[in-house]
Amino acid sequence: MNALRSRRFILTGLAPAVLLYTLFVFVPVIWSAYYGFFNWSGIGEAKYIGLDNYAEILRDPVFWRALKNNVIFVLASVFGQVPLALALAVLLHKSNWLQRFLRSAVFLPMVLSTVVIGMIWQYFYHPQIGILNFLLDSLGLSSWKLDWLSDRDIAIYSLLPPLIWSYVGLYLIIFMSALQNIPGEIHDAAKIDGVSGARKLATITLPIIKNTVQVAVILCISGSLKSFDLVYIMTKGGPAHATELLATYMYNSTFTTYRYGFGSAISTTIMLISLLLIGTSQWLANRNKSKQT
Amino acid sequence: MKKGIAFKGLAFMVMAAMLALLLAGCGGNETSGNGDKTEKVSITIWHNWTGQDAKAVAMRKIIEDFRTENPAIEVIDEGLPTDGLRTRLRTVAAADEMPDLFVMWPDAMTKEFVKGNLLQPIDEELNANSEWKNNFIPNALDGYTVDGKIYSVPMNLAPSSFIYYNDALFKEHNVKVPETWAEMETAVQTFKDKGIIPIVLGNKTNWVAQSTIFSTLADRITGTDWFLKAVEQDGAKFTDPEFIEALTKLQELGEKGAFQDGFNSIDETQMMQLYFQGKAAMVINGGWALANLVNNAPPEVLDQTHITILPAIEGGKGDPETTAGVVGTGLGVSKKLTGSKKEAAMKLFYEMAGPEGQQATLNSSTLVSYKLDLDKEKAHPLFVELYELMQHVKITPVYDSKLGSATVEVVNNGLQELLTGGKAEDIASKIQNAQATAVGN
Repeated sequence: MNALRSRRFILTGLAPAVLLYTLFVFVPVIWSAYYGFFNWSGIGEAKYIGLDNYAEILRDPVFWRALKNNVIFVLASVFGQVPLALALAVLLHKSNWLQRFLRSAVFLPMVLSTVVIGMIWQYFYHPQIGILNFLLDSLGLSSWKLDWLSDRDIAIYSLLPPLIWSYVGLYLIIFMSALQNIPGEIHDAAKIDGVSGARKLATITLPIIKNTVQVAVILCISGSLKSFDLVYIMTKGGPAHATELLATYMYNSTFTTYRYGFGSAISTTIMLISLLLIGTSQWLANRNKSKQT
Repeated sequence: MKKGIAFKGLAFMVMAAMLALLLAGCGGNETSGNGDKTEKVSITIWHNWTGQDAKAVAMRKIIEDFRTENPAIEVIDEGLPTDGLRTRLRTVAAADEMPDLFVMWPDAMTKEFVKGNLLQPIDEELNANSEWKNNFIPNALDGYTVDGKIYSVPMNLAPSSFIYYNDALFKEHNVKVPETWAEMETAVQTFKDKGIIPIVLGNKTNWVAQSTIFSTLADRITGTDWFLKAVEQDGAKFTDPEFIEALTKLQELGEKGAFQDGFNSIDETQMMQLYFQGKAAMVINGGWALANLVNNAPPEVLDQTHITILPAIEGGKGDPETTAGVVGTGLGVSKKLTGSKKEAAMKLFYEMAGPEGQQATLNSSTLVSYKLDLDKEKAHPLFVELYELMQHVKITPVYDSKLGSATVEVVNNGLQELLTGGKAEDIASKIQNAQATAVGN
């Protein structure tokens, strides 16, 4: 009886949140999936066209380029942000003034708005007054100067440093708290056994925080699949779709060319891709776990 | 048992508190509207006069004056930057929640809004005041006319393509202001050799090259008739040799180094800044750039700046005495307006787009589509130059005003591709496909 009552209490307490979540997440997702079957400009009649929007997406080379760019972003995040943050966390987890300063410096981009980050890097890469080209000039490397954001072949790679730079701080904090959670006895035991340095890192520290690393990787994947703001500010997906991501592709189709139905179909496709990726990573993680036990 | 009631009561209270918080958040602005019992008519207007340029300031002043003169009318105005306004209008159009009055664009946008049954015609007001109606320049109302009904009037005139050039640099390096394409190429070469940017371009927001350069350049080669036919997909295609020639011409200009490095990563504002700094000999931009120039350029650049149109192209089918452009934005009147609200809205409409509004616009260094004489004593000399240039230069269509929004996006991206080494034929066929699909729908 008491258990039933407290369960009812929990349900009542949860209800508002569930209600809100349903209203603002599930309903729009289903609504948007529904619009994906229509040819609709936002104004006037919507015409039912079945799966034509999806067929067009699959035929559209811009979609495949956006997907490829998104994969580049995911890889850069997972193999750029996570190892870098881990290395920094190991190096900076003591607390003298230099390390405190460096920690704050690495974390700083996290408190900046993406718009500010985009603007800073845009001026960093600026073709006429940019620091980067100026630096290359003064080092006598003028031949290395490039149109960083303007050249179709390299623009997407120019976006990776700001992407990595702006999120390293987050993972640094996560890893640092994981490192601090390692009980002192383990360090003492390691000392008695004479394990230190790189060996201690590989055999003791890393295995203990392995779960945190896994969580960080999942956060990283889902975060970089959603990327939009940085690219929208720095290149708007251009030049000529060279830096288009799935999210900017969706935004441009919906709000620049006013094809709401087509845009909705892209949103649904993005959702399916995300579910697929997250499902796969969950499955991989679970499989590893069941192997261990 | 008693404990149970208390528990239930607590659960209810928690839920009630949460709901109350939720509702308080949602319903914040409803109470303020109802309390007012006076017979105030309130109208909403959305516009893009947010900047500090003379035009925006003048238009905001008209709204302010209207408020003081009509205390019984409450005007709720909302200013948005141009790109934001376009998107926002589309969004409220989808939800059928248009503001009472809003700045809208002629041709494509007007047609779509009429098709969506969102606008009401203003023929009645126009016919009641024939002096107003007849003073617009020829064809000025065409972009706002759908099926014989007029839905708005232009509040300005927006030629989209002029060469603003720094005469001091031309004189210093002994270059002739280009009147033919060959002279243009010579000028580009000379300036490039001297380390001066020949033509500064900021094409990050990708309409710039299309609207300011390509629309006129293409018209010089293909002629206006061809373009209008290609838009309708009736007897002309974007894969025709003349269009490919136009694309190639622009690409050649780019390959000769006419534009500075990294033109795809700076925007129109930064483009104008480079010109203001005296680093560029020319900038190609619309008539709207003049107000910005007059307000923001340093005197040593401003005093040396003059205006001309794109040079003629030998063998082209277009009239060289033209420039691309549109009659400017007008005010859309929401379908839902009736009675005293409509009366109030039309009053404001007339203040802004009637003779006095047009005069105020002209006085703010902005061209109008309305027959008015310019007070040459008061106007800035550069604006007088523009005004006189426009007395003999005709307007041809801008690509983005005639083509559907999906095709425009393909053209804009295509030009970015073209200027970074894309193949003209491929880009032409992409544009052709997009327009064929758009017309087919």
